[in-house]
Amino acid sequence: MGRFSGFLVTLRQMGKPRLTTEYPKVKHDKPERLHGRHVLNRYEDGMEKCIGCELCAGVCPARCIYVRGADNPIDDPVSPGERYGFVYEINYLRCIHCDLCVEACPTEAITETKLFEFSFTNRSDAIYTKDQLLVDDAGRAQRLPWELWLGGEDDATSAWMRATSPSGASAYEGRVSWSGELGFGVRPPEHGQQPANPKPQDD
Amino acid sequence: MTTAEPQAQKTTVTVTVDGVTFEAQPGELVIKAAQEHGVYIPRFCWHERMEPVGMCRMCLVEIEGGRGYPPACTTPVADGMVVHTQTDAVKQIQDGVLEFLLINHPLDCPVCDRGGECPLQDQTLAFGPGESRFVEEKRHFPKPIPLSELVLLDRERCIQCARCIRFADEIAGDVLIDFVDRGDRMQVLNFEEQPFDSYFSGNTVQICPVGALTASQYRFRARPWDLSTVETSCTTCSMHCRGAVQSSSNRLVRLLAVDSEPVNHGWLCDKGRYGLEWVHSEHRLIEPQVRDGGVWSEVSWPDALDRAADAIETAKELHGADAIAVLGGARGTNEDAYVWSVLAKGVIGTDNVDAQLGDGLPAEFVLGMERAEIADLDRARAIVVLDHDLRDEVPVLFLRLRRAVLELGVPLVDLAPAAHGLSAHAAVIARTVPGEPLAANVHDEISRACEGRQGRVVVVVGRGNLAAAADSIVGAAAELARVHDVRFLSALRRGNVHGALDAGLAPGFLPGRTTLDAGRAWFTDQWGGVPAERGLDAEGILRAAADGKIRVLVLVGADPVSDFPDATLARRAIDAVDTIIAVDGFESESTKRAEVFLPCTLWGEKAGTVTNLEGRVQRVGRKVAPEGTAMDDWRIAAELALRLGRDLDLATVDEVTDEIARVAPAFAGVTSELVKSARDGAVLPVAGHLDEIVLRTGELSIMADDGSGTSWDPIKVHGEAPEEPADESEVTAHVDAPALHVWDRRAPQPEAPARDAYALRLVVGRALYDDGRLVSETPLLQRLVRDPDLRVHPSDLARIGVDSGGQVKVTSTRGSQVVAVRADAGVPAGIACMDFSADALGAALLVDAGQPVVDLRVESLR
Ligand code: SF4
Ligand code: SF4
Ligand code: SF4
Ligand code: SF4
Ligand code: FES
Repeated sequence: MGRFSGFLVTLRQMGKPRLTTEYPKVKHDKPERLHGRHVLNRYEDGMEKCIGCELCAGVCPARCIYVRGADNPIDDPVSPGERYGFVYEINYLRCIHCDLCVEACPTEAITETKLFEFSFTNRSDAIYTKDQLLVDDAGRAQRLPWELWLGGEDDATSAWMRATSPSGASAYEGRVSWSGELGFGVRPPEHGQQPANPKPQDD
Repeated sequence: MTTAEPQAQKTTVTVTVDGVTFEAQPGELVIKAAQEHGVYIPRFCWHERMEPVGMCRMCLVEIEGGRGYPPACTTPVADGMVVHTQTDAVKQIQDGVLEFLLINHPLDCPVCDRGGECPLQDQTLAFGPGESRFVEEKRHFPKPIPLSELVLLDRERCIQCARCIRFADEIAGDVLIDFVDRGDRMQVLNFEEQPFDSYFSGNTVQICPVGALTASQYRFRARPWDLSTVETSCTTCSMHCRGAVQSSSNRLVRLLAVDSEPVNHGWLCDKGRYGLEWVHSEHRLIEPQVRDGGVWSEVSWPDALDRAADAIETAKELHGADAIAVLGGARGTNEDAYVWSVLAKGVIGTDNVDAQLGDGLPAEFVLGMERAEIADLDRARAIVVLDHDLRDEVPVLFLRLRRAVLELGVPLVDLAPAAHGLSAHAAVIARTVPGEPLAANVHDEISRACEGRQGRVVVVVGRGNLAAAADSIVGAAAELARVHDVRFLSALRRGNVHGALDAGLAPGFLPGRTTLDAGRAWFTDQWGGVPAERGLDAEGILRAAADGKIRVLVLVGADPVSDFPDATLARRAIDAVDTIIAVDGFESESTKRAEVFLPCTLWGEKAGTVTNLEGRVQRVGRKVAPEGTAMDDWRIAAELALRLGRDLDLATVDEVTDEIARVAPAFAGVTSELVKSARDGAVLPVAGHLDEIVLRTGELSIMADDGSGTSWDPIKVHGEAPEEPADESEVTAHVDAPALHVWDRRAPQPEAPARDAYALRLVVGRALYDDGRLVSETPLLQRLVRDPDLRVHPSDLARIGVDSGGQVKVTSTRGSQVVAVRADAGVPAGIACMDFSADALGAALLVDAGQPVVDLRVESLR
């Protein structure tokens, strides 16, 4: 008798609805704040947001970001202002997806997408360069050969929020204060947020 | 607390700051006295090495019984003074000052080179209001604008503290920048058409409390948090200013001044500060090479070393040790120089060794004169300058001299051959004529200058003129040695030349300032043998080489063709030698002909000790890993010794330092441990004053981590006198060590050839930005090199019949060339000044080392 009790479990399950999905053809929805791999965003006019300030590299607890800044070429600036990110690399063998770089960034240049499914066959693939991290001309993440994601998964690549409000002032909490983005414009406020307000008052 | 002392005997005043009561010197400023007792008063404009101006109002404090809120930076302490720095009223002032400073401040910290190490950021965090009430559009300026090739100015970030302007005026004496406009348009600017071309401009970048002044070299190269730092000494000239060298990703990116009381007072010159890039130059040779049939090929270290050792051994067997000569050694550390000295004198057995390339002074004089320390300048009875232009040769020594003369009022006796940066402030000017003895009345003039003053007379003596034999300078020094209570300060400029001479890299000398004869027995014991006879100096070596008597020439970081004053002789010599072994970082005119090239490490890649012009032994630090397989010079020497049959048994730099302390008499007691623990290094010889050496009590701190904003004030090494003086017994242990060499003042007076009325006597000095390797491989500095021109007195120019700026043909016994000529009223009539340069336009082709002086015939081209 005992040896058939296992089959009983199977039989009992057969009648119930199936939980297994045909991954990777079908995927579960991801939580809104999932921390996947990064993208480097651009402004609506196509300029890069990154100014090469190395704040993200400085804050990264895994020491996996390497940034070098350089003078913006006067006739063909890469980003607004004096300085742009000349080298930008993230090593995904080390990144712990803590999102601290995203919080440190003064220009919302680096944000984390929900894309996390990649498998490398060598170390150099795991080090994403600036060319690979930068969004394309439609403002979307570039799909690299070793990444597995479907259309639509790359939406809302910068749906992020600061854990702390900028400058620590309560007046900023719950306000959209981010800049427009190539392909998407200014992102709509999220739940509990007010629309963008350029001049926050004390309240 | 002891308050029992009677008031009459008290020389200090009692002050209380924020409840801390302490004794301070009368006249001391509240801000400084408080800082020394642990109370930090925020400040922007006050700088310890400059006169207070009270401009920024950040340091306002409350003083009991006083009216208003005086600035702590202009208020001297008084007895019984009670100061409060943290009352509500003071806090409100600090809030207000910061909010006011930030009204127009761009706050572009993320792209600002100061971000992360910015006193304005730090103080705003620590003392500021946290929020501003100003939402209006800020003032805008184009950013950044260049003040010079080296310094950029972002006027939006300037907080008008005037530190930069005061530095240029008070400290450097180059009044090239000032404020223009008023109110919110007030800005620092250079004068029209006149860039901020000071040799010291980099200091303004370091002391600017914001990111308004930035260095073009460091711009966007790194951020403070990815720098790693090592304390070191700059060895670009022989001053050895204390500094902190920083690297990022194994590249040297910045050198900052460290404030050392005896040496540099927190300043650096621009050549030292920005001369880093040559280390990583693409032209550097970083693998050993040998030449076969005229073709270079990279080989392994063992092969290259074998080849070099073979050449030395063969030459020694066939022609004797005297057929081998070693030139150079002034670029490395004391350890490098010492092991090369062991190799040359102890292992090979040749005394044809010279660290100077005919551009210095005889070792007999330099090693044996009665020495002054740099600090003696400040308390001298008078200062005598027997050199050319110190600003170009040893720039920061010039700053110390300038301070002694202008700020402390020491009379200056100017014996330079032509006017220089300090001539305007000289009490007495008596121009020396190359080749002729000092003016007969020079003693009277010196006593006149010293009238009513106490202290010593300090003679700063250097090789001011490369076109005249060194004898005339030694002769003049011998004459000056008759002055009562006189001391000499060497101004030889070459990197670690004093360390190299101390290590015995000079003919007739052994390590530790002892002569071959005096030290023979002792060093034969230590090394197993020393050369029998005094050998040749650089000039002698080159002459012998040109005559085919030198078979193997080892060039240790030396390029005689470019550096020896007489390029014609140097080139003949280099062409005549059979085998040249080059230990260098670059291919040069001289090393081009080498058979074996051994790449050595450069400054920043090696640790060890160096000796500055006053004989102070300090450490240099290793910040980056060597390029390629470059090896320390001393290790190369030790490897060669091994191949020549002698195991020197030296494994680490510290072991070499300790061996020097053990065997070299002048270095007795200067162990690796002492040098590491002494805050300001140790002046040789330490015997007898070991207890005066101040030991360091903490690590050098560059960034103040308490956010107090001290970070970019000149960096301080904290320390106080050791509780127990170090052990004297170790120093005096080797009683049988040879005595130190003493200069025999009866130096030969030079033969003075008569000056012919039509010729101009040539004075060749060094410009700071010369065509040396450091400058030519640092693109930024390369741009500052001026074409050498001939400077003559306007009356001579009229006689020749050319206008200033025109071309003339100059002819010496060596040949003739065409150069630009410029009128210069500072040059006496009958003299022609020219900067040394080895290239086609340079003076090196005019100088004849065989002549005591060089007389030029100058003709107009028409
Ligand atoms: S997510 Fe965290 S670990 Fe990854 S790069 Fe950003 S800071 Fe570094
Ligand atoms: S991503 Fe942001 S934080 Fe990182 S360097 Fe660029 S601008 Fe700075
Ligand atoms: S000077 Fe200081 S406060 Fe001003 S932008 Fe630069 S880092 Fe920020
Ligand atoms: S440039 Fe810097 S040092 Fe000069 S006045 Fe402005 S803030 Fe002060
Ligand atoms: S006013 Fe005292 S530090 Fe500026």
